[in-house]
Amino acid sequence: MIRAFFDNLRLAFGTFVAHPLRTMLTLLGIMIGVSTVMTMMALLEGLRLKVNKDFSQLGANVFRVDKWPQGFRFGGGNRMNWNKIAQRPQLTVDDKRALAEHCPSVSRTGASSWQPAQRVRTGDTETQANVFIIGATVEYPELSGITIARGRMFNDTEEVDGRRVAVLGPDVADKLFPSVDPVGQEIRLKGRPYTVVGVMARRGKIMGMFNMDNQVMIPMTTFFGAYGKRRNVSISVEAKDADSVDKAMEEVIRVMRQRRDVAPTAENNFEISTNESMAKSLNDLSNVVTAATFGVCLLSLIVGGIGILNIMLVSVTERTREIGVRKALGARRLRILAQFATEAVALSVFGGLIGIGIGFGLAFLGRWMLGLYTAVPAWAVLLSVGMSSGVGLVFGIYPAARAARLDPVEAMRSE
Amino acid sequence: MLIELTDIRREYQVGTEVVHALDGVSLGIARGEWVAIVGQSGSGKTTMMNVIGCLDTPTGGRYVLNGKDVSRMNDDELADIRNKEIGFVFQNFQLLPRETSLANVELPLVYRGLSAKERREKAIAALKKVKLDNRMMHKPTELSGGQRQRVAIARALASEPSLLLADEPTGNLDSATGEEIIRLFEELHGLGHTIVLVTHEPRLAARCPRAVRLSDGKVIGDGPGQDVAWQDRAQPSAHPAEAPVAS
Ligand SMILES: Nc1ncnc2c1ncn2[C@@H]1O[C@H](COP(=O)(O)OP(=O)(O)OP(=O)(O)O)[C@@H](O)[C@H]1O
Ligand SMILES: [Mg+2]
Repeated sequence: MIRAFFDNLRLAFGTFVAHPLRTMLTLLGIMIGVSTVMTMMALLEGLRLKVNKDFSQLGANVFRVDKWPQGFRFGGGNRMNWNKIAQRPQLTVDDKRALAEHCPSVSRTGASSWQPAQRVRTGDTETQANVFIIGATVEYPELSGITIARGRMFNDTEEVDGRRVAVLGPDVADKLFPSVDPVGQEIRLKGRPYTVVGVMARRGKIMGMFNMDNQVMIPMTTFFGAYGKRRNVSISVEAKDADSVDKAMEEVIRVMRQRRDVAPTAENNFEISTNESMAKSLNDLSNVVTAATFGVCLLSLIVGGIGILNIMLVSVTERTREIGVRKALGARRLRILAQFATEAVALSVFGGLIGIGIGFGLAFLGRWMLGLYTAVPAWAVLLSVGMSSGVGLVFGIYPAARAARLDPVEAMRSE
Repeated sequence: MLIELTDIRREYQVGTEVVHALDGVSLGIARGEWVAIVGQSGSGKTTMMNVIGCLDTPTGGRYVLNGKDVSRMNDDELADIRNKEIGFVFQNFQLLPRETSLANVELPLVYRGLSAKERREKAIAALKKVKLDNRMMHKPTELSGGQRQRVAIARALASEPSLLLADEPTGNLDSATGEEIIRLFEELHGLGHTIVLVTHEPRLAARCPRAVRLSDGKVIGDGPGQDVAWQDRAQPSAHPAEAPVAS
């Protein structure tokens, strides 16, 4: 049995060697299909790992209270409710204070608000208009995994008084102060001067897209003064310890509903999200993309399979005489079937392996040239091998069965 | 009797016409016999060999080989019989062009499930018998016609069959090489092999202890080689003896 398998494998290999070009052309479909799966999976898996890492960087036992649900933030979400959600009341710094005061399981709260696409200047240089300005209360950095690499965070007094001080993201600091220590230097936002008191530690990009290092953080009061008072904020809430996170959430919900006079039967008019729920909403998104990718790949595998079917039919026709001789010399039907099925499977697995190689290559290239975060998951490799052997078997079985059924006398007479 | 054919028929439907390739052949061949089958082109020689060799199933009649009724067997059982009992030298060699002589000779042994080592040993022994052990790694295209013929014979011998069937084994050979091959058959006959041999050449048939003459799918002569071989030349010189119709 095993001997027969290796004999068949050797024959299959002989066929590839006899027709190298034809073999490669046949395998193109499978190769493209599998390498697409691999590359997409590598990209998505990389994204997923990165996202999970990004979000676990946020403070421990922290959850957030927001006006908008997560789905909207990342482009997904349900458009039908858009108006309803837009009409929700804004979250305010007062809410933030109230939550800290009235929730016994909450240790501290922080608030943040942001303004995208700003230009930051110094006397002689400036950034592009793509910097995120974050208005923050003093607790905010610690509750969102921001650490200060140089200098310090602004303090309570500076925040309450609305002083013009700033903590720079590392990209902004590198751009504006390539050769001097940024701490103590002056920057300008909307034409007004700010003193740099600190620089954040590098954090990288969320999903490889949103650059968390291209930011400037200023006191919340100052931010309101510069960018408008009636802004919605996002509140970060830290529970006393890991065990009281659920309790803290309940308290936060109760206090928020009280403050807003939400009727007992009505839904919350705010959103609670945790690190996990944020990561999950992204993972859900990536699952959709994964499924879509598989659809595309399945299609190209079918195309590849038809290539295999075609070449195996050609192969059987070409080798009719050989099949006749083999049968005449005592090969049973199943043996001939196995020979050609093995050839088809070996052919498409070979294509699959090349595809996997190409996929790895592209993933690596993506990381190396484009700085994308990629990781090839082991299951994608197994799945690719599985899928390509499945394709080989499904599309190879018919030609193999035709070969097995040939009549030896007639087959040997054919030219 | 090793072979017992009783009223064997093989019909082909060609369009609306029915061709009787074998038209009621009854014949017995004992173990150890050497029988030549002669007859004009199209008389049914190859068809009969295919039936005897379990390659083709007759459309009528009964065929008992070695005590087993072959006419009732299915495809796979026939394949096993061909593999174990029968060594076939086909009319035009039927070697696999991509494989070496050695691999070609090993082929029946592959389907017997022997290990690579056993196969190799038996195949080399068979090639030695036909004096081709110096051409083992040559492919058929790299061999002369006579050498190919000998590879085909070695392949038939490799599985040590109880029955050796040869369809025109000297058909494409010059007389010297043909003679060599006939000597080989004589030797095998001496060793006790049962041999059935199709030939056009009366001189060759005359050397066989027994010959059977076919015409239009019927047996019209059966007896000692010398008698049957020249049977159709009873009326002298219509055509010269050594000019058979091309097959
Ligand atoms: N597959 C087939 N379909 C139709 N008729 C066939 C087929 N095979 C053989 N025949 C017919 O059967 C008859 C006997 O053929 P066979 O091949 O046995 O002749 P032969 O005696 O071997 O001839 P040769 O000496 O030329 O090889 C011929 O008339 C041939 O036309
Ligand atoms: Mg013939």
